[in-house]
Amino acid sequence: MKKITIDPITRLEGHGKITIFLNEDGSVANTYLQIPELRGFEKFSEGRPAEDMPQITQRICGVCPEAHHMAATKALDDLFHVEPTSTARKLRELLYSAFYVTDHTTHFYILGAPDFVMGPDAHPAERNILGVIGKVGLELGGAVINTRKQNHWIIQTVGGRPIHPCFGLPGGVSRAINEEERAKIEEIARGSVEFGKVSLKVFDDVVLKNKTYLDMILSDAFTQKSYNMGLVDKNNKVNFYDGKVRVVGPDGKELCKYAPREYLEHIAERVEPWTYLKFPYLKKVGWKGFVDGKDSGVYRATPLSRLNAADGMATPLAQEEYEKMYSTLGGKPANFTLATHWARLVELLYAAERLLELSKDPEITSPNIRNIPTAKPDEGIGIVEAPRGTLTHHYITDEKGVIKKCNLIVGTTNNYAALFMSIKKAAADLIKPGVKITEGLLNRIEMAWRPYDPCMSCATHALPGQLPLEVTIYDAQGNEVKKLSQGI
Amino acid sequence: MKTLVLGLGNPILCDDSVGIRAAQEIGKKVNDPQVTVAETSAAGLSLLDSIVGYDRVIIIDAIQTEKGQAGQIYRMGTEDFSLTKHFSSPHQINLVTALELGKMLNLAMPQKITIFAVEAEDVTSFSEKCTPKVEQAIPEVVKMVLEELDA
Repeated sequence: MKKITIDPITRLEGHGKITIFLNEDGSVANTYLQIPELRGFEKFSEGRPAEDMPQITQRICGVCPEAHHMAATKALDDLFHVEPTSTARKLRELLYSAFYVTDHTTHFYILGAPDFVMGPDAHPAERNILGVIGKVGLELGGAVINTRKQNHWIIQTVGGRPIHPCFGLPGGVSRAINEEERAKIEEIARGSVEFGKVSLKVFDDVVLKNKTYLDMILSDAFTQKSYNMGLVDKNNKVNFYDGKVRVVGPDGKELCKYAPREYLEHIAERVEPWTYLKFPYLKKVGWKGFVDGKDSGVYRATPLSRLNAADGMATPLAQEEYEKMYSTLGGKPANFTLATHWARLVELLYAAERLLELSKDPEITSPNIRNIPTAKPDEGIGIVEAPRGTLTHHYITDEKGVIKKCNLIVGTTNNYAALFMSIKKAAADLIKPGVKITEGLLNRIEMAWRPYDPCMSCATHALPGQLPLEVTIYDAQGNEVKKLSQGI
Repeated sequence: MKTLVLGLGNPILCDDSVGIRAAQEIGKKVNDPQVTVAETSAAGLSLLDSIVGYDRVIIIDAIQTEKGQAGQIYRMGTEDFSLTKHFSSPHQINLVTALELGKMLNLAMPQKITIFAVEAEDVTSFSEKCTPKVEQAIPEVVKMVLEELDA
């Protein structure tokens, strides 16, 4: 049995290891995705004041601190039984929309686009943002940097600090904005809407008009019929900041729609012996293994899942793009993993439009930004959509608000089972007996997982602290040929 | 010469905080209006935003190499970094790509970039302190950076 290892995986956070086991004839016997990292965050937070959690959790990872900050803030609202003021809600969503613009821009141009714009068979040294800009032009490259920079300014101004906001409080936010700031935010939002439209045009020109890519998107190798999860507002439109969690099956039927407090009735976590990561699944459907279909509790929480789980986008231009996307993909839900990149761009446009709407809201400069809590804290759950998936923060505290127990289900964790399956399927479909394995082929397998934009640092956050690592190689007879280990 | 001393890292992730800790100490000792001392948990493309507009940048961060000893300090120019897979946060693009991108887009890139990297033992456990050998390296790297500033 030959062993092929793809390690390190380019352009991802943290460690990840894909191991593919081949049969004697060169076909794929099995594929494993293993996360060797352990982080210990829940333990680290015990004994700390819950009010520190928006500051602490945003440090888990430097990529999406705003998502953790927002989920933690909402958990505090729930914990202290206090509603934020209307202006505070809008400011939170405004900041969050700017964050989405930066994050989705980063992912598409730096992580996702290289595969499509340069082609999966391009040399690794070219399959990055430099290659992308070389092809799409310096002006667009400048627009990428500028859009990010300007929206980071919004996050810093509204949130009080660059990258790590000091902003969320139970019942509100820490600062209001003035008219000068508001006007600049509005101007940036207009530019971001244009940038969103341009990005979708790039996708159209480079990906959709290229038959090879379109075929790849629609191919069986990259199709997976899992349940879809995302937050929706009261009209069942996609909302990143607030709403209920809606789950829609691969057949398009709604399975459930729950409020944050009900999440444990719907989600359970499965432990597998070969990884430290736990696999969330839908309790009502049950765990049937790493399989898709409506009888398997595996679900996805990605930009595509969010669009699948909703009935539409709440802003007009994004809604148009949403309709165009589904019309091209043959209807809802779309089970094509690579279309996640497209969905991400539709979300980028929505985030920019939402940012513009909120910047023009008459209440947005109001000084009424906080309701002071009066109730005793006990338990709080806050859910937002992180760019990488539904993010749940759950705190249990004593009556002084000191954390006794804390559970986080982060974006990527939701997708771990589906991720594993996507890689296995791509490997089995693309590595065949007699086919020479080139760098391009290996990158195609990575292409199966990059749409998920996985952040491995967030996804493993349990004890203990040692870093055990094991690589096992089996021959065709199943005999252990070699075992290497560290920390065991 | 407008200089930026930038400490990179995660302040609650054990040895990954070494760059930030060093920058905090350097900030207390530097009194030159031409020198800015800052800390950030950004990486890759966001790093580009921080360094644009300076003539010289000194970066301090944690590193893990195959054969390194915890607490060891390396001084490098950007040409030494093309093969690094893990610089600060590998999620985005690495530092070298970010720098090349800046040049490509005609941004005001620093003429001189020096990196001081401290070999880390543990960058996967949540802790507000570094491991002992890395803690001991902090005053050493601070000294090296201050000497670099005087040079």
